Amino acid sequence: MQNPLALITEITHRCPLHCVYCSNPLELTSRKEELATTDWLRVFSEAAALGVLHLHLTGGEPLARPDLVELIVGARQSRLYVNLITSGIGLTRERLTQLVEAGLDHIQLSFQDSTEGHANWIAGTRAHAHKIEVARWIREHRIAFTTNLVVHRQNIDHLEEMVAALEALHPDRMEIAHAQYYGWALQNRSALLPTRAQLERAVAVVAAADERLRGKVRIDMVVPDYHARFPKACMGGWGRQLLLIDPAGRALPCHAAGVIPGMRFDNVREHSLDWIWQNSEAFQKFRGEDWMPEPCRSCDRRKEDFGGCRCQAFLLTGDASATDPVCELAPLHHLIEDAVREDAVMSAAPEVTGAPFHVLQEKMDGFWSYRTDPK
Amino acid sequence: MAELSDASVPKFAAGCRWGGTIEAPVVLFPEGTIRVEGTGRIILELCEGHFTLAEIVQKLESQFMLAPKGKIRADVETFLKQLHDKRIVDY
Repeated sequence: MQNPLALITEITHRCPLHCVYCSNPLELTSRKEELATTDWLRVFSEAAALGVLHLHLTGGEPLARPDLVELIVGARQSRLYVNLITSGIGLTRERLTQLVEAGLDHIQLSFQDSTEGHANWIAGTRAHAHKIEVARWIREHRIAFTTNLVVHRQNIDHLEEMVAALEALHPDRMEIAHAQYYGWALQNRSALLPTRAQLERAVAVVAAADERLRGKVRIDMVVPDYHARFPKACMGGWGRQLLLIDPAGRALPCHAAGVIPGMRFDNVREHSLDWIWQNSEAFQKFRGEDWMPEPCRSCDRRKEDFGGCRCQAFLLTGDASATDPVCELAPLHHLIEDAVREDAVMSAAPEVTGAPFHVLQEKMDGFWSYRTDPK
Repeated sequence: MAELSDASVPKFAAGCRWGGTIEAPVVLFPEGTIRVEGTGRIILELCEGHFTLAEIVQKLESQFMLAPKGKIRADVETFLKQLHDKRIVDY
């Protein structure tokens, strides 16, 4: 068994944004269940001892934690490379300076669309203008800067404008990530899944931008698996490279694993990270190849994609051990074809701009549901 | 795009740094890690912002005296350009 390389920590599920494709589970962890600062610092040091190199501080919105500076200092003391994944809401110029001085290595700032009205409509709150300002502050520091854009049917046709707008913020890297259909995004799939034609245009736009910006901005694209022939190597294989800790301290092999019924997730309050990596039932469950059904078991691609995504298999087929239905060889591949046929169709979206959240929620009801806050 | 010339001073880009252990050093950068060994490690250890490309090539040439003429320079350039495209090295 190899060591994990990265630790993803959802340090809180609280978030001022309500993005319709949020990767958090539908059942969010409340503030009172969140781990304390000392718990996280212990987890960071255990992770480093286990061979982890990268720490991803994410949420929710990690800035909602008042102890963020302390967490960064502790993570650097444990010799971890510290990535912050943020919406920028909750950041002032002074607080950013504190985070950088604490040792933050890389900041990834999310964007929702190219224009303010549209971006705020997707985020369910007025966030876009502040993000632009945050990007300017970030460039006052010597720190790696990534802009992240989640792409879906409601913004994919603005991709060219988006790339140009983000280029003007001088990031080192742009992440153009197609929405992955779990949790909130799965619930909103009929509003978000792009059409094949949209996807093909988007791929061409990204390829042209990559060519034009080479040596200046690195572009990384996450492709949408519903339109692919083969599944993604989800998390680089189950329990193989990554582990995720949720705000309450539960250790999961990925963001969505909580949906799989009958799984027991051990908690960092009760066990060391090393013990969890070696022994936790949840990490053992789909590690390696013993769990694989046919056609995966005898397929050459199993070494590349590890049988695809277990959560997607469960969410779409009801069986977490099934071949990921994205695979064209999967017995239940028709589920993906049906979803593309039914959901990836252009439909008029009721666009509401400048309205407060409760009005947006009400007006968009039936089209999509915004991510809500933990209780 | 920045051109690589004799006077270029290659160094790690913002947010890129050494990590891992002394026995197994790695270069850490946003969302990634590369293990560098042998000549790659020697080159990157010279990319601290003190030496020009010409000086780095000269140092390597004196270390690997049997390499064919021009080969070291070509290899160093290819290596640095690849890392530049990944936004790991600036020059």
